[in-house]
Amino acid sequence: MTAPTASRPRYRPPAQLGGRGPIRGRAKRRLQIAAFLAPALAILALFVFWPMLSALRLSFTDASGFGREQYIGLENYVEVFTDPDIVRSMGNTLLYAVLFAPAAIVLALLLAMAINSPRLPLRGVFRTWLFLPFIVSLAVAAFAWQYLLDPQVGLLNYWLQVFGVRIGNVLQDPVLAMPTVALVAVWKSFPFYMIVFLAGLQEIPSSLYEAAKMDGAGPWSRFRNVTLPLLGNTTGFVVIIATIAALQAFDQIYVMTGGGPYKSTQTVVMQIYQSGFKDLDLGFASALSYVLLVATLVLSLVQFFITSRREKDAS
Amino acid sequence: MTSLSSRVAARRVGSGLFFVAMLVVALLVLLPIVIIVFTAFKPVAEVNAFPPSLVPGDWTLDNFTRIFTELPFARLILNSFVFAGGVTLCALVFDSLAAYALARMDFRGSRVLLVIIVASLMIPFQATLIPIYQLVAEFGWVNTFWGLIIPRAADAFGIFFLRQFFLSLPRDLDNAARIDGASEFRIFRSIVLPNAVPALLTLGIYTFVNNWNDLLWPLVFTTKQEMGTITSGLTLLTGPSGIVPYGVMMAGSLIAVVPLAVMFLFVQRRFIESVASTGLK
Amino acid sequence: MKKLLASAALLSVAALALSACSADSGSPSGDGPVELTFWHGYTEADGDVLQGIVDDFNASHDDVEITTEVKTWAVIDDTLLTALTADEGPDIVAMPGERLPVYASKGAFADLTDFYADPDSNTAELNPQAVEMETVVGTPYGVPTGFVPLAVYYNKALFASAGVTEFPTTWDEWVAAAKQLTVDENGDGTPEQYGMVLPDHATVANGVWPSLFYGNGGDIVADGTDAVIDSPENAETLEYWSKAVADDKISPTGVDGVGADELFSSGKVAMTIGGPWMASIATENDIDYGIAAIPAGPVDQAASAIGVSMAITAQADDAKVAAAKEFFSYFFEPEVATAWSLGSGWPPLRTDIPAADVESNPTVAALTAISDTSRALLPGVVNSSDVLTEVDVVTQKALAGGDVPELLGEAQTAIQAALDDQ
Repeated sequence: MTAPTASRPRYRPPAQLGGRGPIRGRAKRRLQIAAFLAPALAILALFVFWPMLSALRLSFTDASGFGREQYIGLENYVEVFTDPDIVRSMGNTLLYAVLFAPAAIVLALLLAMAINSPRLPLRGVFRTWLFLPFIVSLAVAAFAWQYLLDPQVGLLNYWLQVFGVRIGNVLQDPVLAMPTVALVAVWKSFPFYMIVFLAGLQEIPSSLYEAAKMDGAGPWSRFRNVTLPLLGNTTGFVVIIATIAALQAFDQIYVMTGGGPYKSTQTVVMQIYQSGFKDLDLGFASALSYVLLVATLVLSLVQFFITSRREKDAS
Repeated sequence: MTSLSSRVAARRVGSGLFFVAMLVVALLVLLPIVIIVFTAFKPVAEVNAFPPSLVPGDWTLDNFTRIFTELPFARLILNSFVFAGGVTLCALVFDSLAAYALARMDFRGSRVLLVIIVASLMIPFQATLIPIYQLVAEFGWVNTFWGLIIPRAADAFGIFFLRQFFLSLPRDLDNAARIDGASEFRIFRSIVLPNAVPALLTLGIYTFVNNWNDLLWPLVFTTKQEMGTITSGLTLLTGPSGIVPYGVMMAGSLIAVVPLAVMFLFVQRRFIESVASTGLK
Repeated sequence: MKKLLASAALLSVAALALSACSADSGSPSGDGPVELTFWHGYTEADGDVLQGIVDDFNASHDDVEITTEVKTWAVIDDTLLTALTADEGPDIVAMPGERLPVYASKGAFADLTDFYADPDSNTAELNPQAVEMETVVGTPYGVPTGFVPLAVYYNKALFASAGVTEFPTTWDEWVAAAKQLTVDENGDGTPEQYGMVLPDHATVANGVWPSLFYGNGGDIVADGTDAVIDSPENAETLEYWSKAVADDKISPTGVDGVGADELFSSGKVAMTIGGPWMASIATENDIDYGIAAIPAGPVDQAASAIGVSMAITAQADDAKVAAAKEFFSYFFEPEVATAWSLGSGWPPLRTDIPAADVESNPTVAALTAISDTSRALLPGVVNSSDVLTEVDVVTQKALAGGDVPELLGEAQTAIQAALDDQ
């Protein structure tokens, strides 16, 4: 059985049987590949790539959406890097990403291993329980958290009062607001990452663990030498997806703090929304979106190379 | 006491601690959900009352009746099912086909194509919403299910997810089938797909939940109330100046969450079954 | 896979059937009435009254047929731009007053100068402050559908038990009454009951702080183009109120407008500054309430208004514009205006409707009595949402103990930049 790592041997199609020539065979194969890709690519081309190009064009204009528009060169891009509010929102976004992504990924992996463990009674119940935050809509979840955290009428404060403890107004504190929003986001997002890890864990043949045990490997060593390397594809997926989600933080901030207090939770996508849908400045919103895309791409590629090197080192 | 039985005892204590620790974590995770459930049964005055309470003092079904009387509830739920279900089914079919090509039919440019597909996830949807809308309007699909479903009938996220999963499946089986003369589609259908059931289910529930809970998409693509979803419909119960009738919102989301929770319960059982039956272990 | 395909087929049949039954025949034709779509955010009982007015209009005007689509104000703001870019939007749209200038400045709305000039438009008697709200650089782009001053809603039971018998009429009296109503039973420095709630950001209709600024003779923007927030008057106002909150603990801190409404509903605070809907919210929460004008500041008695405007969008052709104007004139006929006022719970938009005509609704009567103190919020300011964000930053930081002159200086720069950018 091959280990599913990035360094797998390339698959070569077997030689065609019968009298067909290799040229016809290759053409046929291309057609096959195209047939598999066509439906998805057609939809992506129309509804993803074309709108992306459209947005790219808008980013060089002062478009508002109502027809009058002029090309203004790189003006929007210059503004992205000179407007202090935008620059601050980039810092906020990075802070959020650092608070959110590692916590969500580690928690998801730990809990996935826990609910995959045969030693845990009622595994099915735990799986469903822990998955629940993912199913509720964010607006509703935000309410529940506010009901817990509100400094005046919140449950947590009321309960802690018995012990003489008061939590402050965490969502209105410029230092604590971002960690609080990130905490809620971790709560909301970890279940899906956990389930993805669980699906990945279930693919790892138990025989490998038995073999490692026979060799006298302890739990940490088994995790380090069996689980992590074999989970490579899954981890790569989760890391990239979590990074993208972190850098596009919007919903939870929009409903919980609206970017406040004092713009301390104002993220890049909040700014995009503000420019596009409040100030009706689509050109600027598009330019900022493209800056975000490039930044995310660079970050993801760096992560990808780091993880694939580590995989190589491990194997 | 022999060393063996003390080891067994230690294991048991370990298991017990493990269970208790998981119980604590699960309860913490569940607390906001419990608030949602109880709030759905609280009368209006109690939701805002001080001191706050977790459990309703005065249970009521008023919040639920409001939803049934003030919204075309059956129609909205049906729309939600068609929209979220339609997107999920289409995306599962199209994404898995594309992912199969990307993961298992090595061809030149496949890596570049993958990077382009993944990169398309990195642009915030706020930036592409208007061009997508203009296209949908061009097709005359505003206020139709086509407009809601087709733009999402395939998505980069699903392709990326399934591609990663398909990569991990051992190749021995399909190579054997190929030598037996099986077509690619046959290999895809009878070897790869059955072995990827956990991944398909995971993606399916992800897509379904996200679309079910999506607010802006149905609001933008449907302007008529009878074409809205339950999630977009609930916004209509918001009062002036953004005052939200929380009890009603919670009741509404509870009704919306029940089908999803039931679906997950079913899916997570299939998880274990499918893995047990694939013979991959 | 087979199952999947089968269910896909089933679903698409269902989708087709459902789409078919909701698809309408609304193709424009030469004869027959002009069809107009009207988006508005009146989701409560006021929505029913408005629907009644539209129905009556449709019945009395054979050549026009208006269809309403009800969404929340937030949803209208989030979807209008997208819909208009593909001419799939409404022909008439209602929206919060301070959102009109930005759309108007981008060319989304029809110019209504001729309409206002027309003596048959019934606009001559409209509240001039409300009309001011519709004007961007001298041109009107909409008509008001609502204009009401913010007012203080107070909890009569809490007033009685604290022994406050007269509602305050000046700031000093207001603070004194709030102190009397603030209760810290266990003496831990955190009151269990507050005299009032003074939100420091995202206040109701963004109007609490503008109202207080006006009270001391200050303002935020002059003529829609010049930032004037950095004034000694505004500094005094901020210092006065942050001192009252910090030293006398008359209000909880870090609350927003919606939070303020909720605190009032929970009976934890005795006074809140709010809109007409507080009346029904208070009733729902079993609170016996009173309505009073925001007490006068040292210089002026003024309240920022909650305004709603409606406008004709650029996608409407000439026939539709004419039909929409016809509706607007109808909307301002005295009987219709009176019915709308009573039904919506907002004061009449016409200044010539006698008080006796709206007596039957005590909320309307109370608000009409104080409606001459109302002022439009940031009239003609295109980037109003940026300006309001900056105001929020100042008030939040000031109430958290920030250096007021410095904050106002920073806000002045930021607001001027937003105004220059529009």
